[in-house]
Amino acid sequence: MSQPAGIPYNTLVVAAAVAAVGFAAGVIGSFGVLRRRALVSDAAAHATLAGVVAAFLATGRRDLPTLLAGAFAAAVLALGGLVVIRRFTRTRDDAATAIVLGVSFGLGIALLAGISARGIPGAGGLEHFLLGHTAALTAGDATALAAAAALAVLIVWLGLKEATLVAFDPAFAAATGWPVALIDYALVTLMAAMVVVGLPAAGAVLVTALVVIPPVTARLWTERVATMVPLAGAIGLVAAVGGVATSNAVPRLPTGPTIVLVAAGVFSLSFFVAPRRGWFARRRAAVDAARALAERLRAAAAGEQTAPDPRGA
Amino acid sequence: MNLVPGSEGGFAALHAWAIATAAVVAAGCALVGTLLVVRRMSLLGDAISHAVLPGIVLAVLAGGRPGGFAVLGGAVVAAVVTVLLVQALRSEGGVAEDAGTGVVFTTLFAVGVVLASALARRIDLDPSCVLYGVLEFVPFDTVAVAGLEVPRAFLTGVVVLGLVGAGLAATWKDQVFAAFDAEAARAVGVPVAAVTTGLLAATALVTVASFEAVGAILVVAMLVVPAAAAELLVRRLAWMAVVAVVLGVAAACLGYMAAYRLDTSAAGMIAVVLGLEYAVAAIVAPEDGVLARGAARARLAWRVRCEDLLARLWRADEARAGPPAATGPGDWAAAAWLRVSGRIVRDGDRWGLTAPGRAEAETVVRSHRLWEAWLGRHVELPLDHLHPPAEWIEHHLGADVRRRIEAEVGGEESDPHGRAIPRERGRPNA
Amino acid sequence: MSAAAPALELHDVTVAYGRRPVLWNVDLSVDAPGLFGIIGPNGAGKSTLLKAALGLVPLAGGTVRFFGRPLAEVRGRIGYVPQRETVDWDFPVSVLDVVLMGTYGGLGWFRRPGAAQREAARAALDRVGLADLAGRQIGRLSGGQQQRVFLARALVQAADLYLLDEPLAGVDARSQDRIFRVLDELRSEGRLVVVVHHDLRTAAEWFDGVALVDMRLVAAGPVAAVLTPENLHRTYAGHLDVLDELGRAVERGGRTS
Repeated sequence: MSQPAGIPYNTLVVAAAVAAVGFAAGVIGSFGVLRRRALVSDAAAHATLAGVVAAFLATGRRDLPTLLAGAFAAAVLALGGLVVIRRFTRTRDDAATAIVLGVSFGLGIALLAGISARGIPGAGGLEHFLLGHTAALTAGDATALAAAAALAVLIVWLGLKEATLVAFDPAFAAATGWPVALIDYALVTLMAAMVVVGLPAAGAVLVTALVVIPPVTARLWTERVATMVPLAGAIGLVAAVGGVATSNAVPRLPTGPTIVLVAAGVFSLSFFVAPRRGWFARRRAAVDAARALAERLRAAAAGEQTAPDPRGA
Repeated sequence: MNLVPGSEGGFAALHAWAIATAAVVAAGCALVGTLLVVRRMSLLGDAISHAVLPGIVLAVLAGGRPGGFAVLGGAVVAAVVTVLLVQALRSEGGVAEDAGTGVVFTTLFAVGVVLASALARRIDLDPSCVLYGVLEFVPFDTVAVAGLEVPRAFLTGVVVLGLVGAGLAATWKDQVFAAFDAEAARAVGVPVAAVTTGLLAATALVTVASFEAVGAILVVAMLVVPAAAAELLVRRLAWMAVVAVVLGVAAACLGYMAAYRLDTSAAGMIAVVLGLEYAVAAIVAPEDGVLARGAARARLAWRVRCEDLLARLWRADEARAGPPAATGPGDWAAAAWLRVSGRIVRDGDRWGLTAPGRAEAETVVRSHRLWEAWLGRHVELPLDHLHPPAEWIEHHLGADVRRRIEAEVGGEESDPHGRAIPRERGRPNA
Repeated sequence: MSAAAPALELHDVTVAYGRRPVLWNVDLSVDAPGLFGIIGPNGAGKSTLLKAALGLVPLAGGTVRFFGRPLAEVRGRIGYVPQRETVDWDFPVSVLDVVLMGTYGGLGWFRRPGAAQREAARAALDRVGLADLAGRQIGRLSGGQQQRVFLARALVQAADLYLLDEPLAGVDARSQDRIFRVLDELRSEGRLVVVVHHDLRTAAEWFDGVALVDMRLVAAGPVAAVLTPENLHRTYAGHLDVLDELGRAVERGGRTS
């Protein structure tokens, strides 16, 4: 196999896959953030651990597609649990999210510890799903992850109009005949799928960051969904690739935290320097507004017409 | 990672210490969690439990011992920083609160993990311990108190429980007021900001006290689940706190024992038991439980069937057309019950009302016709639309409201269709 | 539209939140064309009535028909303007983006708005006087301008019946005039415009017909016949404790006192 600049083929494939996953997570996470469902994905993410271990116990296999299928089933079950709690109890949504997150993660930990206590052969490495670990990914796994990520992006691209409408004004969407609940479920399922696809790289505990931080960062730079979505994808891509590269360079460092730290770095920078919504821009705008107000007051005092502007916007 | 099973006193004592530690930290978490849940701050609890990690790691790095006071202080600082950061993101960057929370706690937790990994050789803090604790090893790290070897984590848990319990007891009225209506509380001079900060500090303290036992993430289960279950079971906040503590402690004991039997992680099993407790509470809760609501629906449906049948027989009498020739199959059950309970009698294929049955039927018909009269007076509704709503409401009117309606419609003798409204009687079964 | 079927017809509509009824036995029929107001005190269930008609909250009883047919068959003929507070105005969309959402129903799944839709959206914006703000982020508008954006979005729906929920709440005088001019044009074009409105003083001069609502329909019909002192007293002063008590009893599945 040809190896450009001495980088192993496998590493290149994994890097490409991680890039694709990061991009897709940013794209799909955008709608989670816009629909105010940012932390729902965290409940699904923590539940995936139980799914991974259960899939291993049920099949005795530990190839990535099997484990991730289990993870996806667990994520969907966790979201279903949220729906059941909302439907049948008066527990508030935030508490429901925390319940599903804590209990499902506890189940995952119990299963994982039970397996390791029994010394079941082949179980080693499952704990990598906690904090992420890309070194063991094969080229085949990586290709499958990239394909899943590409599919998710394609679905969102197709339904961009519908997703934006439902995220912005669900009442109007319903009144004009769109199946809002269905579109919501589709988006949340896609979020769960992204969490699962991001699992090998970022781990159950921190994969949420991959679907939350890039969109929040992108939102600081733009006022348009059509720009925000690809930008969030790009930031996710940078975070994922940067994080994996960093963690590969430092021994014993899991990938999840480094991905999060790269994303957090981009966010912090954006928080200050972004145009309009950035901290510096807001400061400047506040000063300008104060100056304009003083100007208007002076004009009003001079007996000119007062401009009625009840909201002061 | 479990202890070797054994029946000797020494092993039993080790288990007892581990259970006691779990119970103490669970009690503290449940207490604080009660207020977090009613104040809709559950996810802030989640965020804090993740975000204290860097505080703990730095404190350990600076020479503090796990479970020591420097570490408690580091955790409180980290918790306060978390909350301040989320608030700053919202006010200075327009980042929505849930998204901001997601950004802050994942970032701080990542910082903690990276620090712990990078400094793993210099400090005694295992990344996996960070995630799910090592309750099983807690009894081995002891300090001598009055000649007794007490696990350090237990001691920390007791001190924190005492601190948090005393703090909440002292400010309980303000806490309740702030939870119930923060605006009104502020208006009458309750220091809501201070009360909230105190609650956050308490969250940080119980989190870090639980850290060794159950790890950073499962703390959220101990904070939120007992309180959420208790909220389904009781209404008053004080009782909710009591029930939450009982549930938390019970889950700690049962979870530990289950983990021992199944040879797995105690922290994980405690969370699983908490989940089961919540599920049971959701099913059996006295007012809002799935069973209670189903039973109430079934009771109402049954009452409606019985009352409808009685009213039908009464109306048939009123029209002097004789009782209906046959009751539909759906009504046979109701008819059987009404016969057994002495409200109707059967004579061949004819059915008749007994005196108590007649009284009850009259009450239903009276409710029906009074409601039609009330609708006719208050609601713009065609005459032929009056019957369906009355058919529904007749089952929900009580004597007091009936009398008020009668007084309002001016003691009219008949409903809008011109049929007589039966007079109110004494209690039907008296 | 056929003369026989009224544009909007509610039969004995009862609406419950959870199991507790909040709007009782509403029977209402309104013909096109016209400007029709739904008026009542705060918490009277005016918006609930509109949402129930549009299927946004489930009916506990009764039926709703538009032009003599069920909602699903005639959705394309109904335009809706929700309350302004129901959406996040910080959302990253431009004024034109929002107005284009009015064309989505006609486009169907996955088709993007094209040049024709853009043109229609610009025309609607022009009609409400916001043509020069098309590219602006919606949060950077005044309250009245935001309300006009919502109206423009409904205009591109090219509907025969418009349902507006409090379109004049917190709106400046200029926007208010503009909105009413547009509603007036819609009426002249033969359409029916139903407006949930809270201000009694302006109701008499703007509307052809009104419905007075306070947990139930007090009266409905031409302005002169409905806005009588007696009806207004029954709407605004005669709060019906009986309905409150009954609502709680129904929710419990028990009886009132």
